[in-house]
Amino acid sequence: MIELIHVTKRFGDAVAVDDISLSVGKGELCVLVGTSGCGKSTTLRMINRLIEHSDGEIHLDGQPVREFREEVLRRRIGYAIQSTGLFPHWTVERNIGLVPRLLKWPANRVRERVEELMALLELSMTEFADKYPSQLSGGQAQRVGVARALAADPEILLMDEPFGALDPITRESLQDELARLQARLHKTIVFVTHDMDEALRLADRLVVMNQGRIVQQGHPIELLRAPADAFVESLLGGEDRGLKEAALLPVSERMSPLGPGPLAEERIARDATLREALSVMLWRHVEHLAVVDDDEVPIGELSLRRLVGARDHDA
Amino acid sequence: MMRKGRSSRGYGWLSPLLWLSLLLSACLGMEGLKGLFRLVEPDSQALIYDRADFIVLLGRHLLVVGVAALLAILLGVGAAVAVTRPGGRDFLPLVGQLASIGQTFPPVAVLALAVPVLGFGTLPIIVALLLYGLLPIVRNTLAGLEGIDPGVAEAARGMGMTGGQRLRQVELPLAAPVILAGIRTSVTINIATAAIGATVGASNLGDPIISGIVNGNTAHVLQGALLIGLLALSVDSLFARFQPASSS
Repeated sequence: MIELIHVTKRFGDAVAVDDISLSVGKGELCVLVGTSGCGKSTTLRMINRLIEHSDGEIHLDGQPVREFREEVLRRRIGYAIQSTGLFPHWTVERNIGLVPRLLKWPANRVRERVEELMALLELSMTEFADKYPSQLSGGQAQRVGVARALAADPEILLMDEPFGALDPITRESLQDELARLQARLHKTIVFVTHDMDEALRLADRLVVMNQGRIVQQGHPIELLRAPADAFVESLLGGEDRGLKEAALLPVSERMSPLGPGPLAEERIARDATLREALSVMLWRHVEHLAVVDDDEVPIGELSLRRLVGARDHDA
Repeated sequence: MMRKGRSSRGYGWLSPLLWLSLLLSACLGMEGLKGLFRLVEPDSQALIYDRADFIVLLGRHLLVVGVAALLAILLGVGAAVAVTRPGGRDFLPLVGQLASIGQTFPPVAVLALAVPVLGFGTLPIIVALLLYGLLPIVRNTLAGLEGIDPGVAEAARGMGMTGGQRLRQVELPLAAPVILAGIRTSVTINIATAAIGATVGASNLGDPIISGIVNGNTAHVLQGALLIGLLALSVDSLFARFQPASSS
């Protein structure tokens, strides 16, 4: 678990991070969002001491980060960045095995771990192990970057806009992959992004920063329903907030049990989002959808009225 | 002076072998070119320089350039590495300027100043070549180290590599092509410059040239120049062979 207690960072006279306190629990995925220059990257980099904080304390499992030797601290924390930072003169296999080798793992254990990670990130060992970073696509390189960050099985993962340079389709597939990995690995992750959809999609806890301060933090749904001020509201998408919230809620939350009448023709999966359901309604010009489970068996129905009007229902 | 050597053109071993064999045959078989030199010096008795074997002069020439290059590499790369470390950053402009001054200072002047201190012989010419050859090495090492992708440098730090590990495993290997280009420029220039060593008693391939000038024997001048030119081409093509294509 990571704790920032009244942390400030000054560069000369400029204050980049202004007295912030933040606690990220074990297994939590905390996303820092904000406009460029709001101090979110600086905050992230103070945790592994790539930047030293000026005031306050940063604790890792109760121990101040300053008490660690820099290298020892960083080898305990996975780190992935937008430009991947893969070493261009090393093969994929060697890149991924970097931190385990720094930790002096025996060669065969490093090799096994690399194989394990490449399988986890769906990179074929035979195809990619001996390739160099310049031979990879952006998405593949970022997968390797994530594999490298996970190599020594760190408790904590810091990710600085890791998917920011990818095309929208690759970005979404990597976001899904990260969500899938996180459901399995339960790392403590601090993730920086300026892409609000990405933030809403991944965050257990969303932290909005502006001008070096934390403006609001909480679960994405909480922030969407009650933004603290106009800045948070506009960052969260203003008029688009309804759609963004709908994108976070599953159909199963608003569906009603199967009625006696005839079943609607159009179908939607139980774990699809309300946003997807709304889109199907708009597209097909219908007001009712049949909700089906994974085996395409109808288990309920969703009306437009329930989809949009159910706020008082679940409150 | 940031001459980046021409990049290797994919001849493989062909071009270095060609130049080396021309160099050696010229060294050993200068007699065979007598007819050619007769054209420029029709009346000379001693048509071919014979105060020392060309092959011996070649060896001494290589030795002087080699020792100077080795010292220049140690000093130049060492200084450039030192001033790109966190502790040495303040000295970066100073080192750049010192290296530039080293090269603007004519080697002949260095010789004139060094001889009273170091005496005649090989030592002053090594000092002169060392100073003259530093700039391309320092400049290119700095350029190579500073030119590393900031993302790569950041990742190396973020992954928990120590300063020494970053230098040996990341920075130097990535800067190597640019550093090598600097060494190539430095060595090639110094092969030609070393000839002036003959004026202070360092016997090398400059001997025939200086003695030819003194005795008015153009044939001797040409013989020295021919061998130095072939040596420079041989060494340059060897560098081209070993320099990775990614340097440019």
